[in-house]
Amino acid sequence: MKKIHIPKEEYMVPGNLACAGCGSPIGLRFALKALGEKTVIVIPASCMSIIVGGFPYSAVGVPILHVAFATAACSASGIRASLDMQGDRETTVVAWAGDGGTFDIGIQALSGAAERNDDFIYICSDNEAYMNTGIQRSSATPYLAWTTTTPVGNPKERPKKDIMAIMADHGIPYAATACVAYPEDFIRKLKKAKGIKGTRFIHLLSPCPAGWRIASDEVIRVARLAVETKVFSLYEIQDGEAYTINYQPKGIPVEEYLNTQGRFRHLTGEEMAIIQENVDHQWSRLLKRCEG
Amino acid sequence: MASKITYASEMEMPFSPVSSGDMSWNRTGTWRYIRPKYEDKTPPCNAACPAGIDIPMFIGLVGEGRYDEAWNVIREENPFPGVCGRVCFHPCESHCNRADYDEVIAINALERFVADQAPPLEAGSPVRGRREERVAVVGSGPSGLSCAYHLAKMGYQVIIFESLPQPGGILRVGIPSYRLPKDILDKEIADIQAYGVEIKTNARLGGDLSFGDLEEYEAIFLATGAHVSRKLSIPGEDLEGVGSGLDLLRDINLGKTVHIGRKVAVIGGGNTALDAARAVLRLGGIPVIVYRRSREEMPAFDEEVSEALEEGIKIQYLTGPTEIIGTNGRATQLECIKIELGGEDETGRRRPVPIPDSNFTMEVDTVIVAAGEEPDLTFLPEDIRVEGKMVSIDKGARTSEKGIFAGGDMASLDRTVAHAIGFGKRAAISIDCLIKKRDVNSVLQGVQVGENGILSMAKYLSEVTRRRSPHVVAFEDLNLDYFEHAERNERVKLPVSERIRDFREVSAGLTDGQALKEGERCFSCGVCNGCENCSIFCPDLSVITDGGVVKYRINYDYCKGCGICIAECPNNALSIEKEAK
Repeated sequence: MKKIHIPKEEYMVPGNLACAGCGSPIGLRFALKALGEKTVIVIPASCMSIIVGGFPYSAVGVPILHVAFATAACSASGIRASLDMQGDRETTVVAWAGDGGTFDIGIQALSGAAERNDDFIYICSDNEAYMNTGIQRSSATPYLAWTTTTPVGNPKERPKKDIMAIMADHGIPYAATACVAYPEDFIRKLKKAKGIKGTRFIHLLSPCPAGWRIASDEVIRVARLAVETKVFSLYEIQDGEAYTINYQPKGIPVEEYLNTQGRFRHLTGEEMAIIQENVDHQWSRLLKRCEG
Repeated sequence: MASKITYASEMEMPFSPVSSGDMSWNRTGTWRYIRPKYEDKTPPCNAACPAGIDIPMFIGLVGEGRYDEAWNVIREENPFPGVCGRVCFHPCESHCNRADYDEVIAINALERFVADQAPPLEAGSPVRGRREERVAVVGSGPSGLSCAYHLAKMGYQVIIFESLPQPGGILRVGIPSYRLPKDILDKEIADIQAYGVEIKTNARLGGDLSFGDLEEYEAIFLATGAHVSRKLSIPGEDLEGVGSGLDLLRDINLGKTVHIGRKVAVIGGGNTALDAARAVLRLGGIPVIVYRRSREEMPAFDEEVSEALEEGIKIQYLTGPTEIIGTNGRATQLECIKIELGGEDETGRRRPVPIPDSNFTMEVDTVIVAAGEEPDLTFLPEDIRVEGKMVSIDKGARTSEKGIFAGGDMASLDRTVAHAIGFGKRAAISIDCLIKKRDVNSVLQGVQVGENGILSMAKYLSEVTRRRSPHVVAFEDLNLDYFEHAERNERVKLPVSERIRDFREVSAGLTDGQALKEGERCFSCGVCNGCENCSIFCPDLSVITDGGVVKYRINYDYCKGCGICIAECPNNALSIEKEAK
């Protein structure tokens, strides 16, 4: 049997405000296990703003700065600069934003910080829509997925934005994908990122039971299926160029992934076939990049 | 800090909004409408094991290299891991869920591996508090020894009366040493004696001692087996050169010199016939097995038939003996008739129908009859009820006489070593109930594994630990995402040319590396194996890991009832229930 081994230390307390089965606190818990106590987290408007608890309480045992939607990266830059001024090189600065706060609203600040190669870890916890405000599509929403702003009959006809390619092309020292169903991989990547100076970017897939229309107990299973069907691949990019695939997926037909979720229930066989083609194409492109 | 913070006025609030308390005041458990709970279930292997061994528990320990503890887990239920790891027909493996995934776990080989690592027990091994009551066990076969073992561990004073010069019953005299080496049997009997069990050999009930001699005992367990060879009822059975398979095996096993001819016909299709034929081969004879049905109907264990065929033993299927023909009082020919199979008989097997005028003869020097065994019940007092050539017993192994219990081959048609061991345990529990004046029927109901009457001594002795629901875990109940395909690790067998030279053991044990790998293959169906997935994936930090017997607990103050712990448990060791409103 494959047993998962992760650090025992806990930096969160129970009582968080996430919906039952939410992937976000699972991801945050893993991240803190990897990064430890000397961590400051910047959270822009997102589900996580709510999840960690409101003033004067926090479910997280490290300092959190709640900031405006577009400002995760520049706030992280500022905190880093301040710590540097104080001579604190030990504390890790983390920006933890959603896909809306990264792919859409926060991309300007992120791009600016990445261009300056400011020294922090940016984690995009991607649940593929603006879930906190009521499941509106973002540029991270997958092709043809249902959201309240892309209802059945009026589909999202554009593919998910390739945020990893965008970040890689900034030439940052480290970028990696991760998934809440693969804690060891995620923790290893964060530990590796912690040892690197400059802008480090982690794209974390974290399913949302409410927005994906799945049962609360299916979050990990569906996240795992995303990886095993190659819909979401686990890889890392060093210095914007050196691609490495970290997990060889089983290559299960994408239909099996789509069928688990209500947001894809309206898809026809032909549409699923197109998605399969897209996934295959995306995978072969990734393989090519790995070959260099 | 689990309390709410109240600011008396705006003035008291900090200049910038800084948290000064944590969220643990927020009892998110109130959101829950379903409730996960730890509930170990019944593994299919365990429910199929007549001896009731907690198989996933011992295999889990093997996978961690904790062989000594694994041995103790087996011996909670069965004092014969070394014997069973060699001769058991392992119904556990036929029920293993891994069959639907790749190949079943080599449970039998692992059991033997564990036994082969264990050093002998020292005499005076501790028991659960000495009791003065004395119990007599008649017969030192697997059933008698198992009963004696369990009673001795409960603290009773147990004596076994054995008619033969050496203890072990069918294990000693029925099974040849190429399947069960004598030193393995000796070791496990000595381990039973280490708990204070006394064995009196050469003490035959009805001969050397009478029922009256046993009156001083609190209870008597009869387990004298089935050692009378069934006759063929054909002419010529009393000729010289005609003998029974049981007699042959007994003489070989007790070290007597046996005389067999070159051309040997062995009649029958059970394990005794197969063992007799394989023994004959090892003594230099050329055996031919004569069986009236086909291979499918053979009652012998499949592995034994395969091994016999590998060794080049000929089996003449669909052939029935009609007469043994002799010259000067010695058997020289066996006349047979060809047979075809008709409709099903009362045993569910197809009825053999002789084909008229198909008679033929075989040249023979020796004929060995192994067409089934029956118990010898002539020594029983008349008031013990007998039905269909067997002692009649109830679920508690009780005969019609109070204080007299019976089990094993003399009381059942399930004539395997594992069944006999299970019977011994059943009788031990029943005897304990008699002495402690407990209602045996309700006790037995409570200590069942699954729903087919398999009993757990671990459950009987401590009702708190390892409580399991009777639900037998199905393949579909498991989360297979945590398993990888892996080949089954097989035992190596001696090449045929070496095997048949003498009575050396045919199979080697698993190696250390093989056992570890095989142990890791186990699905641990329904039994928590401490993988921690429930805790790792809990979004609400509501799985408390605190070691001890119950490895995990759920903190219902905060558990939101998402059910991830249940879904991500690879072993189906959690269940869901609706929250009370």
